[in-house]
Amino acid sequence: MTTPRVGIANHRFAFGYYRQTFWNWLIGTAFFLGGLGAGLFVLALLTDHTAGMLAGYLIVVVGKNTAHMLFLGRPERFWRAAMRPDRSWIARGIWAMGFFAVSGLILLLPRILGPAWQLSGWVNSAATVVAVLSAVIIMFYDGFVMNSSPGVASWGTRLLPLLLLMYATLGGTTLSLTIRQLRGETIPVFLPNLEHGLLVVNFVLLAAYLARMNRSLPAARETLRQWLSGPYARAFFGLVLLVGLLATLLLSLVQNHVQATGLVVLIAACELTGDFTLVMLLLKSGLFPLQTAPAYSARGI
Amino acid sequence: MARYGMVIDLKRCIGCNACTLACKQENGTPEGVHFARVVTREVGTYPATKRAFLPVLCNHCSDAPCAEACPTGATYIRTDGIVLVNKEMCIGCRACNLACPYMNRHFVEKGMLKHGYGTDGLTPYEAIKFMDFEEGTNIKCTLCAPRVDQGLEPACVVTCPTDARIFGDVEDPNGKLQRLVKDRKGWTLSPEYNTKPNVLYLDE
Repeated sequence: MTTPRVGIANHRFAFGYYRQTFWNWLIGTAFFLGGLGAGLFVLALLTDHTAGMLAGYLIVVVGKNTAHMLFLGRPERFWRAAMRPDRSWIARGIWAMGFFAVSGLILLLPRILGPAWQLSGWVNSAATVVAVLSAVIIMFYDGFVMNSSPGVASWGTRLLPLLLLMYATLGGTTLSLTIRQLRGETIPVFLPNLEHGLLVVNFVLLAAYLARMNRSLPAARETLRQWLSGPYARAFFGLVLLVGLLATLLLSLVQNHVQATGLVVLIAACELTGDFTLVMLLLKSGLFPLQTAPAYSARGI
Repeated sequence: MARYGMVIDLKRCIGCNACTLACKQENGTPEGVHFARVVTREVGTYPATKRAFLPVLCNHCSDAPCAEACPTGATYIRTDGIVLVNKEMCIGCRACNLACPYMNRHFVEKGMLKHGYGTDGLTPYEAIKFMDFEEGTNIKCTLCAPRVDQGLEPACVVTCPTDARIFGDVEDPNGKLQRLVKDRKGWTLSPEYNTKPNVLYLDE
């Protein structure tokens, strides 16, 4: 006799997997914007590109923080979330965003308002180090926040922070290329190559993540099933893989030979669609484990 | 110091949901929020089928992942093992909801406290009970801490018509709970999460 597949419970008195509904599109948007903005800022800083730095800074400081504040049940108490950086990745993320906001501003002000705003050499150097470090933390800490949620089995892998870090780098690279193209600026040779490389790396990481889910707890395997043949298959294959990775790669290879502004915008739209869809898929497809135990299920109950 | 917990005898549970209602009455939770509930499942193959009941509530874990995940320290464990939420400190980030593998945390959405069950306004009873809650924060089973502090048992325990729920000190080596767990090989839900739940079950 085969064991019937356990489905999704549609209310809390039913047996089955419960959907994660606590973190919604606002958190998805915050995660997406945080990675994108921080990735763009780091790349722009390393390539001395003020417009990219400003865009990345605003995406993080305004976009990500606004989404977070709109999501919180009691936003007026948000500062309390910074109280336990020794234990909580949410707290570490808040500290990172604070450091990023200050150090980013120190670096941006002289570039935008003129040398009168330039601080002394060592302050500038320290701000550069702090800005890069805090931006990198913003790029991956969401993965650790999800990791620290044992209730959702598909988030229980250390691959997640790495996956989000690489997607943030890819998003930053794509946006950096787009901004430079739109402003008619010179594009460093390494940027398109970096984008191609990251597309391949992200595909491999995504495959590794799926393989990890397949070897994980039953709830994670059910999430995987939903990605591959369930209600999220269209979004995963269509938007994450086809649009987000394959179309982006092909179009960017074409872009190497045909320099067209419209094409660059299309590449950015494809990549960012895939990136955002992946974050939303990770959140929406999360399932809580079955309310059961080995002794209980061994008896067919 | 005692560590309070509960043993639930599945052999005695008849799935009447009296515990669910007693909890509702005691805590006056908003619509859709059930600190105690009975998960029901049909098992077996026709014609040998039956309904299996699994009463669930917060497990008041010794290694509570909700307390670990809380970035503000709003969720804390009392010295007697009861896991509680300080609503003044909760920011409504819902990290605890996602940390609990048993899904026994509840978020009070905006507008939830403005209406009762099927009514636009609140009954006098709801108006009083809802004062314990705050919109945008998390709530959970308190193991009826105010009753326990008065030397009483939780509402779900005293209401159970079949005495399927036994409340007490889970760490007392001579206590009824430890004896039952030892004699009947008690178990906990999802032990793979290593949360050390203090709600234990006795098999059918």
